Amino acid sequence: MFGLPFDTTLLVFGFPVFWILYTIGFLYASRDWDKDSISGDDAS
Amino acid sequence: MSGTVIFFLILYYVVVLGIGYWAMQRGGSEDLEGYLLGGRKVGPMATALTLQSTSMSGYMFLGAGGLGFAQGYWALWFAAGDIGGGVLNLSVIGRRMRKLSQMMGALTSIEYLEKRYPSAAVRLFAGVLTIFLLGFYVVAQLIAGGKGMALVTGIPYPVALAIAVGIILIYTFMGGYLAVAYTDFFQSIVMLVGVMWILIAALTELGGLTSANYALNNIDPTLLSVWGKDLGFQGQWGVVAGALLVFSVGYMGWPHVVTRHMAMTRPETARRAGLWATIWNLFFVPAPYLVGILAILILPGLDDPEMAIFRVAEQLLPAAVTGLVMAAIMAAVMSTADSLLLQTGSIASRDIYERFINPNATEKQMVIVSRALVFAIAVVGYAVALVEPPSVFSIVIFATSVLGSAFLPAYVCAVWWRKANTPGALSSMIVGAGVAVFWEVAGLVDTTELAPMVTGVVSSTVTMIVVTLATQKIAPVPAYIHEVMDEAATVGRIPPRFLAATNSDLTNEAVAVDAALKGGQNNE
Repeated sequence: MFGLPFDTTLLVFGFPVFWILYTIGFLYASRDWDKDSISGDDAS
Repeated sequence: MSGTVIFFLILYYVVVLGIGYWAMQRGGSEDLEGYLLGGRKVGPMATALTLQSTSMSGYMFLGAGGLGFAQGYWALWFAAGDIGGGVLNLSVIGRRMRKLSQMMGALTSIEYLEKRYPSAAVRLFAGVLTIFLLGFYVVAQLIAGGKGMALVTGIPYPVALAIAVGIILIYTFMGGYLAVAYTDFFQSIVMLVGVMWILIAALTELGGLTSANYALNNIDPTLLSVWGKDLGFQGQWGVVAGALLVFSVGYMGWPHVVTRHMAMTRPETARRAGLWATIWNLFFVPAPYLVGILAILILPGLDDPEMAIFRVAEQLLPAAVTGLVMAAIMAAVMSTADSLLLQTGSIASRDIYERFINPNATEKQMVIVSRALVFAIAVVGYAVALVEPPSVFSIVIFATSVLGSAFLPAYVCAVWWRKANTPGALSSMIVGAGVAVFWEVAGLVDTTELAPMVTGVVSSTVTMIVVTLATQKIAPVPAYIHEVMDEAATVGRIPPRFLAATNSDLTNEAVAVDAALKGGQNNE
């Protein structure tokens, strides 16, 4: 793809895809974090 | 120097100074928590972008471009890890560190370590090591800024350097962390626009990525390989692992970066900040490496690879755009340099001066001392940067590798491993830093094909585990630390009795979370 060898294609495009999937997984796993909510007053 | 370049630079400087003034109006330097952590009021997008722009630095416009120019697509190993560095950091330690630091009343990332691993030795070693390494790193940023500005504008290097340092000092003095965080936010957008503009111009010049890759293949097929020019890194998985680790996992060991977690508005800010970090990184991170690779075709006679991005911008972009790109380059340098200066000054004032020299300093005195130290470090950094400097790329990789090696297990175990104790953390820091420095100084990278980051992190992690387990009986983790760790692991509001400890922001060191908790329990 794009004139690159297969392993270089994996390096260029595979890692970004991995991190996108990681981010989606993180958002899913942390969906209840809003229960942590601390008001600004608490934080100061 | 064209009038357009001057216009963009002046416009850029006016905006960052305006942000500094705005931060001052918002109380960014009213008290110590305001000055050091922006009053813990930084939202998700600003958290993500200050985290990223602080991490990225002038390295991205010098080292990254130079690496792409020298090694071809092999350089993308660094980008492959870097893209996920932000979300990894925020997902692994962001939320828990925010809660723990608040419950323990820690205002700097080094103070946080002492409160989690109670010992003055932890604070002293971590503080001195961090000041030394961040000082190194500041010099690298100043060199990057001075070289870039001098090249594009024609201003003599010492004058260009002085202008950049002066502007940083003014807005940092005015607004402290809040000014740094929001100038970083603005600067990260300028960086993104600037580097994308150069990349698009380079791709247009060469007829697209596929066409450029065919042309590279005709020059030297190994430039397209994942093993570097002439396959120089073939089979060297230890070096590849180092490239992947230094800007991904390594971030979690950088004291000036993990401070961003402590300044978030809320613990759950880490969640949306992770999303913003990934989005920004996907666009920004690979671009400087790719421009460096494309510079092989655009500037075949380039004698200094670190100048690849500057020269491509100079050659391909009209004067009007060069001004914007110049601003982007300065933004990359300044957004890191300001954070480094503020953190170094904060650690020197809070973790060394107040902790060990003058425990009775008032809050006002501390803000003044912190500013004075920021100024002193900037002056020393300026003086060192004027001397014939070594490669910026090497300095950044060295400093960040040692930081990551020393502190990564300490920060990660602080939130995830209840057994992690003081002897384990202290020995882990000493061994991690020592091994990384030794590996670099002794030149073992070439003979062993292992990066200092790899050996450093492995050594510090093993040390943390072994020493912690071996010393459980003689140095157990205090019960109150277990209690705050359990609370940090729980999803929900922090109970008021834990927040009693946050009064520490107005006290001198020594706040005993233990005493605060006992007091809270007694009142129940």
